[in-house]
Amino acid sequence: MTVVVISSYVFWIMAPKENRTVWRSTVILALAMMYLMWAITYLCQLHPLVEPRRSDMRPE
Amino acid sequence: MSEKEEAIFRSAEMSLLQFYIPQEISRDAVYTLGELGIVQFRDLNSKVRSFQRSFVNEIRRLDNVQRQHRYFFKLLQKHGVPLFEDPNLMFQDTTETGSDASSHGPHLPISSSVIDDHVQNGTLLEERLIQIESAADQIQLKRADLEQYRAVLQSGDEFFSTQDAAQTSIASLRRESIISEGRGPADDSAIRTHVNFVTGVIPKDKVNTLEQILWRTLRGNLYFKHVELTTPFYDTVTKDFVQKEAFIIFSPGDLIIQRIRKIAESLDANLYDIDNNEHIRSQQLSTVNQNLDDLYKVLDTTNKTLESELYAIGNELNQWYQDVSKEKLIFETLNKFNFDSNRKTLIAEGWVPTDEIDCLQDALTEMTTRLGIDVPSIVQALETNRTPPTFHRTNKFTAGFQSIVDCYGIAQYREINAGLPTIVTFPFMFAIMFGDMGHGFIMLLAALALVLNEKKLNRMKRDEIFDMAFTGRYIVLLMGFFSMYTGFLYNDIFSKSMTIFKSGWEWPEHFKKGETLFAKSVGTYAFGLDWAWHGTENALLFSNSYKMKLSILMGFIHMTYSYMFSLVNHLYFDSMIDIIGNFIPGLIFMQGIFGYLSVCIVYKWSKDWIKDGKAAPGLLNMLINMFLAPGTIDDELYPHQAKVQVFLLIAALICIPWLLLVKPLHFKFTHKAEGTIALPTSDDVEHNVSTTEDNGDREFSNEEVDEIYEGDDDDEGTGNHGEEFSDIMIHQVIHTIEFCLNCVSHTASYLRLWALSLAHAQLSTVLWTMTIEISFGMKGIVGVLMTFFLFAMWFVLTCCVLVVMEGTSAMLHSLRLHWVESMSKFFVGDGIPYEPFVFGYNDMETAVENSTSSTSD
Repeated sequence: MTVVVISSYVFWIMAPKENRTVWRSTVILALAMMYLMWAITYLCQLHPLVEPRRSDMRPE
Repeated sequence: MSEKEEAIFRSAEMSLLQFYIPQEISRDAVYTLGELGIVQFRDLNSKVRSFQRSFVNEIRRLDNVQRQHRYFFKLLQKHGVPLFEDPNLMFQDTTETGSDASSHGPHLPISSSVIDDHVQNGTLLEERLIQIESAADQIQLKRADLEQYRAVLQSGDEFFSTQDAAQTSIASLRRESIISEGRGPADDSAIRTHVNFVTGVIPKDKVNTLEQILWRTLRGNLYFKHVELTTPFYDTVTKDFVQKEAFIIFSPGDLIIQRIRKIAESLDANLYDIDNNEHIRSQQLSTVNQNLDDLYKVLDTTNKTLESELYAIGNELNQWYQDVSKEKLIFETLNKFNFDSNRKTLIAEGWVPTDEIDCLQDALTEMTTRLGIDVPSIVQALETNRTPPTFHRTNKFTAGFQSIVDCYGIAQYREINAGLPTIVTFPFMFAIMFGDMGHGFIMLLAALALVLNEKKLNRMKRDEIFDMAFTGRYIVLLMGFFSMYTGFLYNDIFSKSMTIFKSGWEWPEHFKKGETLFAKSVGTYAFGLDWAWHGTENALLFSNSYKMKLSILMGFIHMTYSYMFSLVNHLYFDSMIDIIGNFIPGLIFMQGIFGYLSVCIVYKWSKDWIKDGKAAPGLLNMLINMFLAPGTIDDELYPHQAKVQVFLLIAALICIPWLLLVKPLHFKFTHKAEGTIALPTSDDVEHNVSTTEDNGDREFSNEEVDEIYEGDDDDEGTGNHGEEFSDIMIHQVIHTIEFCLNCVSHTASYLRLWALSLAHAQLSTVLWTMTIEISFGMKGIVGVLMTFFLFAMWFVLTCCVLVVMEGTSAMLHSLRLHWVESMSKFFVGDGIPYEPFVFGYNDMETAVENSTSSTSD
């Protein structure tokens, strides 16, 4: 989370002069969406209700 | 470049300018403006019919020249002469004209004498070419004639070798008839002299018809023979080569021969007289051959002249065509201008981006000084309440995304451009459905190939489908990139998984073969889905619930994000009533139901249900019960859940009348109290539609065009009278119903993310097991070969089915999510597109195709 916020902020300042709006919005939005995606994936595995089950394993 | 504002978040500010251009320099001025390409001229003569305008004659003249040029182009195509196309002319990157044009510097306009030259040249060349063409046609006709004659002569030998047989058969016919008439046998030679014949050539498909007709009319009293000719003959009527056959008909009696001739000619046969004497025939043949030789020579020279002429034309034709089209465009633009009272000055009006006015003025002054004329053209800004056109400055990266939005609707002037967030959200929504590292990588590579070669490809002529892929290359690039990311999270690479981080599951150490095993949770996988799930029996169960919740959360966040834009829009247009009457109740409604659901999802995830020893409640039932049986809870998610849910439900229910009534009532009261003062400009659909309609009405109600500009300034602020209370009310009712229903249906609509991503993952798994996995079981040389072939099959199918087909479907779904689910939250999209007057490249081929298709219709 903090990583994303900091990198967004850094990019906000670092954004290239030309087409600044496009760069800023694109990169920050992309970071935010990627973070969200990760967070959702992480959260759903945090306290799992089902456990993996398989019966095709061979003993070593 | 730097002083220009970026116009991608909101469209560029436009101002209406009035130009006073002296008539002498009007052509050059318009040319300069066309090179700049930043002015969108308004048609000041919209009431005048097109043929009554000032420069009709010029346009007609140029139309004629263009027609001639198209005729030349058709000849070029017919004779296979290439058209020389100057690549510099062809592809000045049209997407960047708005920002790039000023850096080119104004070019010198084509002088009018050049255009006159083009006109004269066109007429001269056309006459000459038509002459040559018709001469060539004549010669072709003669040639075909002679060739047919020769063919008949050559086949004559064959005909007359069978002559005897024919003679005898006809003679026997005769004899029978004579016998039946009761006379004695006649002399054979006497009959022989009576037998006449007709020879000629006829199209192959008509041979049978001819034979049948003759057989019936002459009652079998003939002998018909035909020979197929190997070389096809040129037919001047259809201008094509036709397969023909030579024929000969023997029949007794002159009268019958006359009839045969008539019948044959009516069936498009060419008749040639040949002699039945072999010597005379060979003599005829040699003369014909001689004639043909001469003819070939003449034809050759004619064709050579024609071709050299065409080559000369082909080198220049494109340049001419471009010049003439530009000139025509100039006059068409001039036709939109008004003359002042003493017809010395032309008055034009046009929209220009406000920050480019200076650049425009500089260009005009430079032009006047270069021409050495001391009558300057005056540019003046006008105050107006017309709706300015919407102009987003795009570059090659954003253009593709902008076009996605523009397909749906042009943004209203100065409203938030939906194209900006689309840059990320569109590929990302796609990627959620298409999440697979391998497939994403293929897509990324394809897009990279297009992007890296874009300079080269830009100069190439592209067909339609490839052109679509090319314009969307940056979209595809981002789609590929995000697909790789989501594929990484889904832990899918061509339906296999990677074991990068330590798994959060542990399998028991000791077990028997075939025993059902349960893994034990020891931690949480750091990034993405745990690979321990791969290949388990209940993997689908888990990924199903994960992806469904993911899609609901993503959908909810996406909609809220879009909805926030409407707040920004209302703030920008300074309409408080829209915030209070539309935005806030809508927000509470949406957050109260679906926001609550999302929060519950996250809460349920973050709580350790197994440790607490409680049964995890089903969220779907919870949501349904929230409406059907408020206040009753089956499994408690958290304490005081019932009270919270009742409160949220009441809040949402209050919002409906709030949404329905506040805005119309506000409108009614302000109108009663203040009479003439209208609502501040809002971004409400109905409001602006009526404003633009008013604009349109006003234009038609004024008789004199001149009155329009005088009228413009007086109309300020009074354009909103057309609205009635009932109109507002009806619109608001529709808006309310739409909003509430859409909240439900749109959230459900985001479930397509879930469905498609599951389908994609399953399909790639199936493809893997059906093809390449089979080969892993085999051994020896068969195994090697099988692996080779099945890999090829797997790879081709992956590219075709999974990447292209699935990609297209995912893209369409993502498109729908944007157009319907996201953009309906804030986007008005009733703007007028900004179409500046600019010289473009006219492709001759398409021009010719268009003209032919329009004439044939």
